[in-house]
This record gives sequence, C-alpha cells and structure tokens, in this order.
Amino acid sequence: MLQTVFTGLFGLAAIWFAVVVFRTSSMVRSALALLFSQAAIGAMFLAMQTEFLGVLQLTMMATEMAIMAIFMVMYMMDPGGLGGMDMTHQKRASQVSGALGGLAALAVAFFVGWGPIAAEVRPGEQVRGLGLEIMERSMLIFETAGVTILTAMIAATAIAIKRRGKE
Amino acid sequence: MTTLIVALAVGAILFGVGLYGALSQTNLVMIMMGVEVILGGALVNLVAFWRFLHPEAYSGQMFVLIVMTVMALDMAVGFGVATGRFRARGSIEMEEARDLKG
Repeated sequence: MLQTVFTGLFGLAAIWFAVVVFRTSSMVRSALALLFSQAAIGAMFLAMQTEFLGVLQLTMMATEMAIMAIFMVMYMMDPGGLGGMDMTHQKRASQVSGALGGLAALAVAFFVGWGPIAAEVRPGEQVRGLGLEIMERSMLIFETAGVTILTAMIAATAIAIKRRGKE
Repeated sequence: MTTLIVALAVGAILFGVGLYGALSQTNLVMIMMGVEVILGGALVNLVAFWRFLHPEAYSGQMFVLIVMTVMALDMAVGFGVATGRFRARGSIEMEEARDLKG
C-alpha cells in the first residue's frame, strides 16, 4: 500500500515537472524542471525497490541536467524568458499527437492482463544479480555500449570543433 | 498489481507529455528535452516490468542501463550538433534549418 502511494506521489511529481518544462518561458527554469522530473523518476525507482538504478538515475540526471542548463543559457536567444518569445510551432498537431500517444499507452497499461505479480527481491541480491548479468550473459552488450559512448564522444567533438579556415 | 498499473500510467503520461514537447518546440535543445522526457517514461515502464513481472531476469535492469546510455548519447550528439549549428548559423532554431532538406 505504502509502495503504491509513494510510487504515485513521485510519479505525479515527475509528470508535473515534465509539464512545467514546456510551460515556462525561462530556459533555466525549464532545465531545472527537467532535472526535478528525472529526479522524481529516480525516486520512483527507489519506491519500486530498484535501489541501484534509482541512485544511478539520480546521480546521472543531476549532472546531465546541470550541463544542459549551461548549454541552454549559452545558445538560447532569450534564456531568461523576459522577452516573451513564442518558441513553439504546430501547437494543435503536437497537442493531438501527445494526447493520442499518451492515451494509447494508458489504454495498454489498463487493458492488458499483466499476469501475477512477482515477490520482492532483496537489494543485496539485486546488485549481485545485475553484476553477474553484466559480467556474464550481457557482457558483449555492455562493452558495445561503452564503445558506442566513446564513438559518440569523438563524433560530437568532431562536429562541434571549429573548422580551419572558417573563421 | 496496483503499483504496476500506477507506474505504467505515469510512464504513459510522461510519453504523451514528451511527445508533445518534442513536436511543439522550435529549439533544438528543447526538442532534446522532449526526447529525454519520452525516454524517462520508457525507463519507468522498464523498471516496473522488471520489478513486478520478472525480477529474476536481470536482463530487464540491463535494458534500463542501455536506455540510460542512449539518453547520455542523445545529449552528447545533440549538443555537438547544436554547437556546430550555432557556429555555422548563430542559431539553433529548427525553423531556420529547412536548408538541410535535400
């Protein structure tokens, strides 16, 4: 019962802050709202007894969103939102698509028979199980993810770097 | 069962909000924020499926780790493109990026 309440509360916080991201005109507030939304998702993981992923989500998103806030201030034309610029387009189509997508996913959540609920797993077992999964069965996937991150870092730097002769 | 449904409902609503954001925003960084919200919804669903349906299969948690990696990659490459675009045109407004059309 308590688990449902906390999952629901953190879920509501995640949704509320996700909505604020696109409602506020200040880009810094927008980045902070996304940070709080992702942090609430991390707290949901903790409420669902997924400790390792919950802590990982919290730490990763805190750094990621801090970097995002810096980029937003650097590149946005009106980062403080004081100019009252409208930075949206195709509003009607976006609202309809968002509502339809969300309703379709909700329908799946409510109308599919999900089967019996599994018993709880202790945190110690979880970390051990995930460690074994990473180092045994899914090692190739994990290694591939690492190499992909390295490739993306090099590619992102190559795209962003100033080209010679193009001052 | 109730907690699973609550988590899936939160994931579904986050997906809808993120989809709206990704489609409605004109700025590249804001579009990336929409994608992050969508991926956040996917993460909630994955964790709920793992915890309430198959906690014995740790490939579920592995899947979450991969989605987190995708989120980080999305940010890294997106900011790389944003920096390149800003250097070239002085703006990252996607309304002005129609010249990318072939």
